[in-house]
Amino acid sequence: NAADWRGWNIHADGYPNTTAMDKFAELLEEKTGGEISLQMFHGGTLGSQPDAIEQVRLGGLEIGNFNLGPIGPIAAEANVVSLPFIFKDVPHMFRVLEGEGGQVIAEGMAAKGLVPLAWYDAGARSFYNGAKPINTPEDVTGMKVRVMNNDLYSGMIAELGGNPSPMAFAEVYQALKTGVVDGAENNWPSYESTGHFEVAGFYSLSQHLIIPECICINADVYNGLSDEMKAAVTEAAVESADLQRELWAAREATSRKMVEEGGVVVNEIADKGPFQAAMTPVYETYLAGNPDLRPLVDLIQVTE
Amino acid sequence: MGLFVLLGFFALCVIIGVPVAFALGISAMAAFWFEGLPLMIGVQRIISGINVFSLMAIPFFIFAGELMFHGGIAARLVRFASAAVGAVRGGLGIVNVFSSMLFGGISGSAVADISALGSILIPVMKEKGYDADYAVNVTVTSSIAGIIIPPSHNMIIFAIAAGGGISISKLFLAGVLPGLLMCSCLAIAAYLVAVKRGYSAEVFPGWTALGLSFIGAIPGLFTAVIIVGGVLSGIFTVTESGAFGAIYAFIVTLLVYRTLTWENFRTAVLQSVRTTAMVMILIACAGAFAYMLTFYRVPDKTATLLTTLTDNPILILLMINIVLLILGMIMDMAALILICTPIFLPVAISLGIDPLQFGMILMVNLGLGLCTPPVGSCLFVGCAVGKLPMETAVRTIWPFYLAILAALIMITFVPAVSLTLPGLLG
Amino acid sequence: MTDRPIPSGDTSLLSRMEVVLDGLAALCRLITGVALVVLTVIFGWLVFGRYVLNATPTWVEQAALLLVMTIAFLGAAVGIHENTHLSVAAFRTIAPRWMRTLFVVVTDLLLAGFGLLLLWQGTKLTMFKWGSMIPLIQLPEGLRSLPLTVGGGLILIFTLGHLMRLMAGRDPRRDTIG
Ligand code: NA
Ligand code: NA
Repeated sequence: NAADWRGWNIHADGYPNTTAMDKFAELLEEKTGGEISLQMFHGGTLGSQPDAIEQVRLGGLEIGNFNLGPIGPIAAEANVVSLPFIFKDVPHMFRVLEGEGGQVIAEGMAAKGLVPLAWYDAGARSFYNGAKPINTPEDVTGMKVRVMNNDLYSGMIAELGGNPSPMAFAEVYQALKTGVVDGAENNWPSYESTGHFEVAGFYSLSQHLIIPECICINADVYNGLSDEMKAAVTEAAVESADLQRELWAAREATSRKMVEEGGVVVNEIADKGPFQAAMTPVYETYLAGNPDLRPLVDLIQVTE
Repeated sequence: MGLFVLLGFFALCVIIGVPVAFALGISAMAAFWFEGLPLMIGVQRIISGINVFSLMAIPFFIFAGELMFHGGIAARLVRFASAAVGAVRGGLGIVNVFSSMLFGGISGSAVADISALGSILIPVMKEKGYDADYAVNVTVTSSIAGIIIPPSHNMIIFAIAAGGGISISKLFLAGVLPGLLMCSCLAIAAYLVAVKRGYSAEVFPGWTALGLSFIGAIPGLFTAVIIVGGVLSGIFTVTESGAFGAIYAFIVTLLVYRTLTWENFRTAVLQSVRTTAMVMILIACAGAFAYMLTFYRVPDKTATLLTTLTDNPILILLMINIVLLILGMIMDMAALILICTPIFLPVAISLGIDPLQFGMILMVNLGLGLCTPPVGSCLFVGCAVGKLPMETAVRTIWPFYLAILAALIMITFVPAVSLTLPGLLG
Repeated sequence: MTDRPIPSGDTSLLSRMEVVLDGLAALCRLITGVALVVLTVIFGWLVFGRYVLNATPTWVEQAALLLVMTIAFLGAAVGIHENTHLSVAAFRTIAPRWMRTLFVVVTDLLLAGFGLLLLWQGTKLTMFKWGSMIPLIQLPEGLRSLPLTVGGGLILIFTLGHLMRLMAGRDPRRDTIG
């Protein structure tokens, strides 16, 4: 091989992303005529997600399968997808990413040393808790909700009248069980695989955050490729993304079935309007601090 | 070749007497350099080794332990304990084991257990005429009960590494009996060694003295109530309970016992940061070392080797145990759970082993690894707390290793030990 | 080592250096001690905030990580000055005296090199990360690698102090350690 690459992925074997990243490695070798090989390190064994992002930017790793959430603090454009309720649903998110909006985000990331090659599905995150179904923002009022480390997520809970509680992921199960926090939020597969459904049995389909994932490559490595190689690498990534989205849909269905059989009460939220309305201050504060991003936010909101 | 640089440098550093933490860091950096990796990533790994929120409990438990020790709580606790069971040979050894069972069960962290109980019990055991190596050995080996007895952060890491499908509550239930079994084996070992060494049993001081020592110990015992009760009732997370343990110990020694002088407080703080820094720098540098082991695919290659050797289930299980023990000796627990689970769990399931039981086998193995040189954080902390050179402690630790191994063999070959409770209550 | 014999009235460069190093170590101990107390207090505040104010302070977790880093890396450097780190002394003990000296010198050189490396690469990493912010406390990400960088510099300084004492024949470790 002319080049031996190394890639990072946080998920364990059998997870849609893991299978798809292995497929990417296989396609990469095939499409580049054996010029490039990729050695995948699954299960986050080479570090946490923010660390791996840094490793790809520094050139210690060539490839990573990253969620855009932790890329937000590095590339401001990527943080836009962390605005609550910015996407109507998953298909809307993909329409944005595959259009002009995706272009803007990709350029912002490339300027920070990360070139996204293709977009993966990570579903939608919804609220869950142990007390009651959530139907209106008032149901969140007074609730201690675990959030990931991002000012937008804590701002979201605060505006809904809840008490945002950042907490290490590993502590959440016990915290839910004992009531240190009342609820948390995540997608179907994580809600199921972490066992959180055992201790927080009300899952309300708020779908407040739809944050995509991507296959990223180190910018210097990418820019050093010939046009032909660039095309081959991108093609391999896009084909692996097609597989990932298929596997993801199946995995979501399995997880949903598992937690429903486990006795979880699932509810649709009939009117998400009040939730979206409550987010106005979050958007205002965010855009006041990042005025350059207003066109991107507008662009996403007008994308059909 | 790169792996040779990593391990060779490490061995060389250890032999010439470089502190083990720095030996890990230096050899990892040599391997980073050898592979042409950016050295900044080596620095990142060292930082990330301790940029972990769950580790935050460590300084708190160390601090609470130091305050309890320098402020006089520990002395009263031990006065009571030795009044109660001092009349048994090796009484304090057995007290040590069972307090780990309770305390470690709550904290879920072996290192925190040693920091807290070790700082109290080791000095007292020495004072009562127990040899330092015995005190350290009992403390170190019994601390791994905390990993097995629920709740346990490491169990959650295991469930996540297994990629879902394992119920965490069942996993917690599965840990109860193996934990009790391990503690019983250790208590027997503690008793037998005490008899062998001829530690004199103390004279039973009578019921009145026992009662008085109990009353004197109540405010101190309440520290445990704060920590246990706080976590079980859901007022605190484990980390917060550590901080409150320290705050409570401060208040009790200052206002109730009135034994905390400024000088004692200062000593407690300085001793705590000294121990904390030693533990943390080791975990930090082990992070960089583990990265390079993963880079060289050491765990993967080990697993491949294993399955090409034999297809006899009992032999494979035995070999998995041996491999885990060896890896546990040279790597950190959390990293190993994440690396080994995806490799060994499918092998185990294909042999018809329940994932819950496999989880217990993994925990006990890696837990034992925490008590072994050259990379054993529990052993390091225990030796640091007991102010004992590691090789002195290791020379006499084997009866306790045997006790854990006995428990491990039963857990490995008798599925009911792990599966009975989850089956009944799950 | 604080109990090293210093002849009275000795104002040589070496003695003055030792006073400076002891002072530096004392300053680090003070900083780490204060960090531990602050760490404990902010967790008290966290729980108070959650239950009494019903507003969990969201900055505690990230701030706590920075404080622990400070304790770890400054404390590790002080540990070098005080020779409190754990090492395997068995081989030094059985080695002949000349080899023991060699072991000590090589150890110090490796430690000095390691300190220098942390200082150098830590500075680069700190600068690389300075532009992005740690979520929820809005402080530069670079602060995360600053304690390591400073600690690396201190490890270098304290180890050089060891080496200078060693060359002056006043290092206490050659016989006590090992
Ligand atoms: Na113990
Ligand atoms: Na070990």
